[in-house]
Formats: sequence, structure tokens, C-alpha cells
Amino acid sequence: MARILVADDSETILLLLRTRLEMEGHEVATAVDGHEVVDRVRTAGPPDILLLDAMMPGKSGIDALRELRAAGVETPVLIVSAHTEGDNGTDHADLAIDGYISKPIDFDQLFTKIAALTRPDPAA
Amino acid sequence: MLTGLAVIGVARFLQQRQDYENATARSYQREIVARNRLAQGRHPAAARAAVISQQHQRQALRDEISSETRDTALLVGAGLIAGLTGAALLFTGLISSMRRPLEDLVDASGRLAGGDLDARVKVGGLSETATLGGAFNEMAEELQRRAGERDQLDRMKDEFVLTASHELRSPLTSVQGFAELLLLEREKLTPKQAETVEVILDNTRHLVRLLNDLLDLARSDAGRLTIRPEQTGATGLIEDAVRTMRAQFDARAQELSQEIEPGLPQIEADRDRIRQVLVNLLTNANEYCPQGAKIGVKARRAGAEVEIDVTDDGPGIPEQQLEHIFERFSRGDAGETQRVGGTGLGLAISKSLIELHGGTIGAESTPGEGSTFRIRLPLVVPARVEAT
Repeated sequence: MARILVADDSETILLLLRTRLEMEGHEVATAVDGHEVVDRVRTAGPPDILLLDAMMPGKSGIDALRELRAAGVETPVLIVSAHTEGDNGTDHADLAIDGYISKPIDFDQLFTKIAALTRPDPAA
Repeated sequence: MLTGLAVIGVARFLQQRQDYENATARSYQREIVARNRLAQGRHPAAARAAVISQQHQRQALRDEISSETRDTALLVGAGLIAGLTGAALLFTGLISSMRRPLEDLVDASGRLAGGDLDARVKVGGLSETATLGGAFNEMAEELQRRAGERDQLDRMKDEFVLTASHELRSPLTSVQGFAELLLLEREKLTPKQAETVEVILDNTRHLVRLLNDLLDLARSDAGRLTIRPEQTGATGLIEDAVRTMRAQFDARAQELSQEIEPGLPQIEADRDRIRQVLVNLLTNANEYCPQGAKIGVKARRAGAEVEIDVTDDGPGIPEQQLEHIFERFSRGDAGETQRVGGTGLGLAISKSLIELHGGTIGAESTPGEGSTFRIRLPLVVPARVEAT
């Protein structure tokens, strides 16, 4: 279905996300921080969707995304955040974020958003 | 000094009186000497003349003393009047020099009581009013310091709740996520195991609800509970909430009906927040009403508002509880809350959210017959509304 790069600093949550996404038939790669996200995109090329935790020690998902966007990577992105929407202070309008997922993760909602992002472009 | 004049006057009067009495006494002595000479027949003409002369002299002395007494009295009177006037002037001065600082104090007290913790008075004037002003300023200083400490504690509390809520979310995500994962393979679990996982999930969801409520409350306290209103169909919004809750009502064999007036207009509302309020009301009805209860959602337009009622035929709410039902941590009877397990925050948050939309929420109940919760939402969110 879709190639998804998932980043979270918690191995447990990575395992959970990988398991649920693979059960839905997606191909999953993982990263534990923003540095690894940027490295993986550089070496393996951009995935179909980025699923990034907003706050990770070292380099956050937001920082990694900023770097990727600056490098011209236009991959759709969903941000996973422990904060519910509105607590992030800014909406990062410049980063073209396609959606926010709050913790605890509502997987039905997550799958719906992923489906919407991978739907074939009607214009194509 | 003028009072001194009066004193001098009185002293002079006493001196003159003394002089007059001495002179009169001497005159009487001379007359007696003259009368003795007259009685002895010595120089009778001169003696007679001396007697008359002494009588005249005493008359002159009497005239003089009475005139001097009058002058002195005038002097004393003038002195007294002048003294009293001086005293009066002095008092007027005293009063006006006290009045200004006292008026300032009254004014500053009023402002302080009204919440202006910067209110201070100018210290000066008489030592008594200066002391009073100094004491007032010290008190205001102390009040301001304590208010500052309290604000800081409040901020720390809000910060703590936000951080705690954030930190608890990751482990909760794992617990809930893996429990859900287990249930996805329910067919591989024994009934006992499946039931155990259900318990884990129920409790995790409860924890998440508690966390979300505490977070909303902390936001509300910090003035950061906000809504993002958009044009939305009232009908779809209500149907959405009812659909979300359908399974819970089925599980308790309760009848959930909806009666929405056709052609309900678009309203300006934060969809997620209004759904949160409706789900909260429906959850309460679901949990507090017995199995088989009837719960209805009705919506109609009322002027420039949409009115939404959530009605049940459950046990109802006693009058003394009804008054406090929208307050924080207000819960039903102890026995009921043991069974129900809400957070006691839902209605308080619902009220804040509805008020942020410029609407109202209220409850009516007849114990034994049921309760109705009524939300009134304006079609358009008015500018600048504050939740309480």
C-alpha cells in the first residue's frame, strides 16, 4: 500500500506503530530521532508518507521536517504529538503539515488520514 | 500670644484692684484721723475740709477703678476672643492637613479592594496620618507580594499539569495500543483473557479521559482553553455524537433516540468541542441511568439560537446536587460514583466550552422521573466571550 517512515524515540511505540501499520499492509521503516529521519531520506529516498513524533531528544520531528522541506522534499507528513492540537503554540504553516495525530493514538483515525494521503491524485 | 494678653489683662486687673483697695484704706485712715481732730476741736475747719477731701478722693478712686476695670475687661475679652479665633484657625488647619491624607487613604483602600494591588498613598503631613499611610502601604506591599506568589504557584500548577499530561501520554499510548492489538486477535484468546484485556482497555480509556479533563481544566485556568469555530451543520454535528455513543447505549440495553428539527441551520462552532460536550452529556446519561432507560436527543431552532436537549428517564438529580452540578469535582451520590467512575470534571469543562461559544448550558431534573440538560448555542459566536 504505502511506504511509511515512522519516527519516535520510544522503541515500544515504534513496535506498536510498525505492527499496526504492517497489519494494514503498509511497508514500514523506523527511526529513533530526527537525525535518523534525515539520513534515511537522504540514503533511501523519500517514502510515501512521513509519520513523525513532534518531540524527540536530539533532533525533533519538526526540526527534521524543516530540514527536509528546505532540501525540497515534498513528502506528505503526519505529526504525532503528545499535546493535543492547539498546545503546540504554532501551526508550522510553513512546513506543509498534512495532519496531527495526538497520543494516545486513535488508529482508526490514523488509518483514515493515511488513506486520504495515499489516494491517487485525481488530476494525475 | 493673644491668649497671653488675656492673662496679662487679668493680672493687671488684680493689681489695680489691690492698688485701689490699698488707696481706699489709706483714705479711710486719713479721714478717721481728721474726724478725731474734729472731735477734739483742733483746727475744726481744716479737719472738716480733710474729711470732705478724703471722701472726694475715694469717689475719684472708685471712678478710676471702675473705668480701669472696664478697660481691663475689654482687654481680657478681646484677648479671649482673639485666642479662641486663633484656636479655631489652628483646628481648621489641623483638620485640612488631616483631611487630604485621609481622603487619599479612603481612595487607595477602594482601589486596593477593587483589585488594584499597585494602590499606594503618599506618606506625609502630620505624624499620625503619615504613620497610617505608611502602615497602609506596607499592607498593600504584602498583599501584592502574596498575590505574586499565588500567581507563580498557579503557573507552576498549570505547567505541572501540562507536563504530567504530556509525559503520561507516551506510556498510555503503549498500554492502550497493545491492549487493542491483543483484542484484534480475540479469536486466539480464551474468554477469560479477552475479558482481562477489556478491563485493561476500559481503565486506560478512563485514565486518558481523566488526563484530557485535567488538561482542559488547566488550560481553562490559564486562560488557554480556546475554541476554533467554523461554519458547520448542526444536524451533522449532533448525529455524529449520537453515532459515536450508540454502542455504549446498546451495551446497556438503553434506547437512544434522536429528534432533530428538519432544516436546522449552520452554526458557527468548534466541531470537536461541541461533540465533546454532547458525548459528555450522553456518557453521563448512559452511565447514571439503569439498563433499559430511554435517552433522547432533541434539537430545534429557537430564534438566533439552536437548542439541544439531552433527556433521560433515569433516577434524576436531587435538588441540592442540581445547584452544584456544573462545578468541578461535583459528582452524584457516593454509591453511584463508585459504580460510574467519571472524573467529576466533565460538566465543568462542558460549561466552559459552551460559554466560549457564547452559549448556555443548564439542567432540570425531577428525582425519580429523569433529567434534561439543555444547551443553547448562538448561530454565530459573539466576539470576545469569556468562559467562567
